[in-house]
Amino acid sequence: MSDAMHVPGASVVAENLSRWFGQKVAVSELSCSFGPGVTGLLGPNGAGKTTLLRILAGLLTPSTGKATVLGQTPRRHHGVHRRLGFVPEDEAVYGHMSARRFVEWSAALYKVDNPAAAAGRALETVQLTEDAHRPLSTFSKGMRQRTKVAAALVHDPEVLLLDEPLNGTDPLQRARLIELMVRLGGEGRTIIVSSHVLAEVERMAGRVVAMVDGRGAAAGSVASLRDAMSDTPRLIRIDADRPRPLARRLLAGDWVEEVRVGEAGVEIRTRDSRALGLDIAAAAREAGAVVTAVSPEDDSLESVFRYLVES
Amino acid sequence: MRAALLITGAAVERLMSRRRAVWMLLLSGSPAPVYLLLTWGRSDPGGEFYNNLTIAFGMGILYPLVALIASTAVLGEERKARTLPFLLLKPVSRWTIALGAFAGAFLTSLMVLEAGVLVSWAAAGVKSGDWSIGAPAAVAAAVQSLASAAIFVPLGLVLNRAALAGLGYLLIWEGILAAAIEGLQASSVYRIVVSAWADLAAMTPDTFDAVDGVLGRVEAGLWGALAKTVVLAALSVFVTGWLLRRRDLVGE
Repeated sequence: MSDAMHVPGASVVAENLSRWFGQKVAVSELSCSFGPGVTGLLGPNGAGKTTLLRILAGLLTPSTGKATVLGQTPRRHHGVHRRLGFVPEDEAVYGHMSARRFVEWSAALYKVDNPAAAAGRALETVQLTEDAHRPLSTFSKGMRQRTKVAAALVHDPEVLLLDEPLNGTDPLQRARLIELMVRLGGEGRTIIVSSHVLAEVERMAGRVVAMVDGRGAAAGSVASLRDAMSDTPRLIRIDADRPRPLARRLLAGDWVEEVRVGEAGVEIRTRDSRALGLDIAAAAREAGAVVTAVSPEDDSLESVFRYLVES
Repeated sequence: MRAALLITGAAVERLMSRRRAVWMLLLSGSPAPVYLLLTWGRSDPGGEFYNNLTIAFGMGILYPLVALIASTAVLGEERKARTLPFLLLKPVSRWTIALGAFAGAFLTSLMVLEAGVLVSWAAAGVKSGDWSIGAPAAVAAAVQSLASAAIFVPLGLVLNRAALAGLGYLLIWEGILAAAIEGLQASSVYRIVVSAWADLAAMTPDTFDAVDGVLGRVEAGLWGALAKTVVLAALSVFVTGWLLRRRDLVGE
């Protein structure tokens, strides 16, 4: 595993972490660490992000390996939860409680000095003060997410783990939550946010750890990950009425690795999809072809990460 | 201790905040209309009928049923609704969570059952003129709440269909096996509850025979019943805490 998987002065460390459920391996020999600032935990669905976060939070025991948060094992040392916050992916909340009651109750269990005042601050942080009296059962998914964030923030934790916190939020709520993560990370807290959407992570995280099939696929800055992704061969499908002349013309570009011509279009494997994209219009014009659609055949994060792991 | 109280408070609030609470209250209060209906127009004071109704219908069916519903739900619902992380991610020991949940189930059952006892007590008091008649039933309801919480709280944490399993237990163990096999009678919650009641109640010969038939080899005695129930409760908190320590919470 590359050194990019680790950061100096890490507050959250996974060492050779594996977790399997029967025959299914959810996390496989993962070693990585997280330090102050926002780190995006990126990967397709089923990559093992939730399992990793649950191990780090102490909700799951690793099958092998060790996870520590601020030098302690959360599974055994419950005291570390005074310095750790976790926002689970599940939509579940105590529907009968109001947002204020839920956050205040959390604060009291975190042994915060003045739970009511702390709850007020946390709700203000997530901009829920006005609706705080309403039962959580009447909240939208996005509002529930923000309430869970408030409950996880109420004790002012040094480490905050968030599992897909932007799921179900509208664009405005998403922007607010991203702004909040960035601010919290800027205050020197260790924030780990899981997501399967690179664009989301890009807006809040200075560093990214990418996972696929339970393993660490890549780590580093978002820019370095983008570079790695741009080196990944991509399969692009171009639907056109004259595929053969179009394919011949496109082969002139040195970014094309392989071309397959079908009846309704061309499939091109390229290492530089951006250059290909810029050339398509000119190539179609020169080949006298009408292009009806351009679509990436394998443009999911999963395929990109799988390539990174395999290479 | 404060953490346990917070967990207890939230558990009671949750258990009493839904339609289930209404159903539990209706169940628990149902002996009152049954009593009034069946003693309507009768010339006797109705004290004996109240006692027999309490033994067979109250302690035999309603008390355990209500306590079963509340006790299996306290952690079972947290598990099914995926809200357990909100408890387990707090700087609180698993034993404290177990104690808080246990106390929540016990208090909920106690409140609901005592409300029902009060209603039927009032009905029987007005009819018979004997206002001491309901006190043994109130104590029996408390013993039932404690014993049922001890058995059904950990069951709710472990089983998806804990209420159904609990019903099976009540029917097979309490209803059939403990009645048929003398050696099992000392471990029967129904008999523990009846033994507490019998120690306090003033019984007619007919009622005494009925109680004797239920208790079998079990001696009537409030303190013995309480001691057994308290030991059961302590064991239950230990087992629930242990289960919570071992429990892995897997995500979606």
